[in-house]
Amino acid sequence: MGFSMQPYGIQAMLKEGHRHLSGLDEAVLKNIDACKQLSAITRTSLGPNGMNKMVINHLDKLFVTSDAGTIVNELEVQHPAAKILVLAGKAQQEEIGDGVNLTISFAGELLQNAEELIRTGLHPSEIISGYTKGISKSIELLGELVEEGSENMDVRNKEQVISRMRAAVASKQFGQEEQLCSLIADACIQVCPKNPANFNVDNVRVAKLLGGGLHNSSVVRGMVLKNDAFGSIKRMEKAKVAVFVGGVDTSATETKGTVLIHSAEQLENYAKTEEAKVEELIKAVADSGAKVIVSGAAVGEMALHFCERYKLMVLKISSKFELRRFCRTTGAVALLKLSAPSPDDLGYVDSVSVEEIGGARVTVVKNEEGGNSVSTIVLRGSTDSILDDLERAVDDGVNTYKSMCRDSRIVPGAAATEIELARRLKEFSFKETGLDQYAIAKFAESFEMVPKTLAENAGLNAMEIISSLYERHASGSTKVGIDLEGGACVDISGSSGPWDLYITKFFALKYAADAACTVLRVDQIIMSKPAGGPRREQPAGMDDD
Amino acid sequence: MAAMMQPQIILLKEGTDTSQGKPQLVSNINACTAVSDVVRTTLGPRGMDKLIHDDKGNVTISNDGATIMKLLDIVHPAAKILVDIAKSQDSEVGDGTTTVVLLAGEFLREAKPFIEDGVHPQNLIRSYRTACSLAIEKIKELAISIEGKSLEEKKSLLAKCAATTLSSKLIGGEKEFFASMVVNAVVAIGNEDRLNMIGIKKVPGGSMRDSFLVDGVAFKKTFSYAGFEQQPKKFVKPKILLLNIELELKSEKENAEIRLSDPSQYQSIVDAEWNIIYDKLDKCVTSGAKVVLSRLAIGDLATQYFADRDIFCAGRVTEEDLQRVAAATGGTVQTSVNNVIDEVLGTCEIFEERQVGNERFNIFSGCPLGQTATIVLRGGADQFIEEAERSLHDAIMIVRRALKNSTVVAGGGAIDMEISRYLRQHARTIAGKSQLFINSYAKALEVIPRQLCDNAGFDATDVLNKLRQKHALPSGEGAPYGVDINTGGIADSFANFVWEPAVVKINAINAATEAACLVLSVDETVKNPKSESAQGEAAAGAMMGGRGRGGAAFRGRGGRGMRRR
Repeated sequence: MGFSMQPYGIQAMLKEGHRHLSGLDEAVLKNIDACKQLSAITRTSLGPNGMNKMVINHLDKLFVTSDAGTIVNELEVQHPAAKILVLAGKAQQEEIGDGVNLTISFAGELLQNAEELIRTGLHPSEIISGYTKGISKSIELLGELVEEGSENMDVRNKEQVISRMRAAVASKQFGQEEQLCSLIADACIQVCPKNPANFNVDNVRVAKLLGGGLHNSSVVRGMVLKNDAFGSIKRMEKAKVAVFVGGVDTSATETKGTVLIHSAEQLENYAKTEEAKVEELIKAVADSGAKVIVSGAAVGEMALHFCERYKLMVLKISSKFELRRFCRTTGAVALLKLSAPSPDDLGYVDSVSVEEIGGARVTVVKNEEGGNSVSTIVLRGSTDSILDDLERAVDDGVNTYKSMCRDSRIVPGAAATEIELARRLKEFSFKETGLDQYAIAKFAESFEMVPKTLAENAGLNAMEIISSLYERHASGSTKVGIDLEGGACVDISGSSGPWDLYITKFFALKYAADAACTVLRVDQIIMSKPAGGPRREQPAGMDDD
Repeated sequence: MAAMMQPQIILLKEGTDTSQGKPQLVSNINACTAVSDVVRTTLGPRGMDKLIHDDKGNVTISNDGATIMKLLDIVHPAAKILVDIAKSQDSEVGDGTTTVVLLAGEFLREAKPFIEDGVHPQNLIRSYRTACSLAIEKIKELAISIEGKSLEEKKSLLAKCAATTLSSKLIGGEKEFFASMVVNAVVAIGNEDRLNMIGIKKVPGGSMRDSFLVDGVAFKKTFSYAGFEQQPKKFVKPKILLLNIELELKSEKENAEIRLSDPSQYQSIVDAEWNIIYDKLDKCVTSGAKVVLSRLAIGDLATQYFADRDIFCAGRVTEEDLQRVAAATGGTVQTSVNNVIDEVLGTCEIFEERQVGNERFNIFSGCPLGQTATIVLRGGADQFIEEAERSLHDAIMIVRRALKNSTVVAGGGAIDMEISRYLRQHARTIAGKSQLFINSYAKALEVIPRQLCDNAGFDATDVLNKLRQKHALPSGEGAPYGVDINTGGIADSFANFVWEPAVVKINAINAATEAACLVLSVDETVKNPKSESAQGEAAAGAMMGGRGRGGAAFRGRGGRGMRRR
């Protein structure tokens, strides 16, 4: 039909090459279809048994991950409606740093269910109003499900931290969550400031070093720099540190200049004076008590020579961010020019040493006493992709810590919350009189996606699990979730079983519902003609069906 | 609704290649096993070498897993993981690179039938991880510590580890000779172990037996000017000055310019330049140094000047060598000749220039700090020496690790058989699917002894049965039994001194399992088109390779077309 369309109406109005789609079939359902496909990609990665995706981006970099945030980021999604889902995922990533997959998959499920409603004859606006009611009610219900007494927690208690962090980390690195959680918790607790709400994610660093395995990983109080020290001094303990941003070298003029020499004596003395100047500067630094010099730019050979002479250790940190963190770790003030630092500008380290870890030489900067400034998790793994994935798990864990510092309320995990929400929301929907009753019921049904996917990913019979979950919930035990190991339902209250952060769930559901409603609201798509040269040839594999 | 949908939904950018589901997992596994098949024949003392001819026409002959993997230029994303683990093994322990690739390939091969039968990969992964941690614990339990032995005893034990590694290499024929050389080198550099403190110098010609170890530094004679021949070539306890400046007549600074108003001053300027260089040379001489080395050029004037004063000099010494000399002699590299104090001068027992093959070598021996050692390798063809260098590198790494961790296990496939037996036994106590998976993991471990036999031309089935029987003895006395490569039977590897550091095995099993799990956990591959800049010929090649080997059979029904109508 479409291809026989003659230019009339809006088609005639727009420039040739525009594409214009409207109406239920063409716009709404197609949008939904695109979103469904996107969520189909991510949903198999949901939960601890989720599968990884191998994504090769346009720069030929290989990602092997089950982190939905990374997947959708690297996928280069083009469909405008699907992009809305991606944006919702990104918002979740920014806000919480975890639960991206839940956002995207849940939004996909909502849209899929909306499609059924549209086919039965509901107008999108009725669905939207139903969904809006659904989400506000769900959030209300979610608040009721919060575990009692969980709003007070000690963010410095490792056990409590781990119990809240486990679910987030386990969904990325199942089977290794115990080791990872304890590393992350250690690192986070170390740098947690007096007022936990000010916790800065940037203070937990990750150093990835190839070789070994996760069991070789460790936490360092301080920083790990991935380069060697200059000069021959490789170890210094309990030393004062001077930081120079501008490099340690003879100062040269920015403007191109030429030194004019008029006589033989001047020529003879030229090199000498320069040498003397450098020596004077380095000596001044050494006299100030500093034992370690950190340079933000090049280290001149002459300067290095005198540093060796005065037994100063020389490090170079070329990244401005790293340099800033280094200052934070040591408490040093970065000086712009090479000059004698005042005692206040000097930082302090317990030890700086060059160590060899897995074939790579790294400089480990430790600062035990200064304590709560920067900590580094040294991750070990056998391939780059494993390391990258571990890093993402650590990022999620650290972000979870940040969220729990703000709001430590928890809800039961392992799909227990979702089933309970589905059950109560369904009851609620029966009390609605309008057509949106259907939409609310579907909204409730969408929650089933979570237990279904969890079960499917674990190779269990989804329908059986869901029905037995409902049965247990109906009989009053509202904290029954799926035990993926045993393949059965289990009451997770009392046990240390997975707990999710309330705030993660809250935002994930909210963003998902918002994204779904946005997609449903669209009834027309107008695409302008893509600029540029001829369209590329359609690659083979298009005509699968 | 499908047929009239117009236009199709384009979810992803055009040119994106996606494939999903079981067939793509099987295809990934196929690619990995294909890669491991390439290196499998190089395993063990009777392993064969590979000749790799790259597009630049360089020829490399090697039997080092990591080297082969690096040169193979693999584009398949899943198979790349195997390259990564080989590299990681290389950087972490230095040897066992073939083992790790082989094991990973075998784990995947064993997993394949399960995947095809519809087992969820996560179940496999979990069992593999459990098996891995059990295996590592078992290795730790079986490992024998060499801690607390006297230095002499330790040396002979370490030499055995080195010999095991070297036996699988090209220079296996001379393994005792090289093993003791390697051990001496590693012991010489002491605790402050920095790999680049062991230099390996290659001199074509002569035979392997002519290779020798210098407990200090040796490097090839650098370019020299006239006057060099008059310099003395041997010193006892000389003072050594290390420089990072040019001793040549040249302008002081680029940005200096001389403007003269009075032509009579011209001569004074010329004199001044000469004065500067003479001043520098004079300072070198007055420092008392008898050997002057510089990273930069030492010109003819300086060479002559030093020759007149019975001083040896060498310019353009490579940075690496200079650092080694500094570490060995206790000197510090100077960027200025002003104020040279005694403290920064190095010294050594004997310095001499010696003829090695048709090259002349500067050799510093008997260094006080003794943190360096140099191995001078001799041999026939270039490729041969190259491979010998790689083999020595492996052996050096092995000895370093063994020294650090001080535990060894029986080689020759003995430890693999023992773990395999242990896991099989453990599997019987498990109810449920994972019994099968752990069993298959145990079976995969047997690939090491099996491949050793295959490569040596023995009947693998026969030898393996004998081994299994030995290891199954309830008394546990059969635990150290492995393949006897000389007779084609089985023998007590421990008694035969076929030893490996435990850390090599631990890391190999760990890395192989991680890689196998990673490949198994992937259920979808999405390949984005390259960005404009990266596009070109490579794109076409990568695309083909992306679905490459073995995967071709599944292409039709494999990829779930994302851009469906």
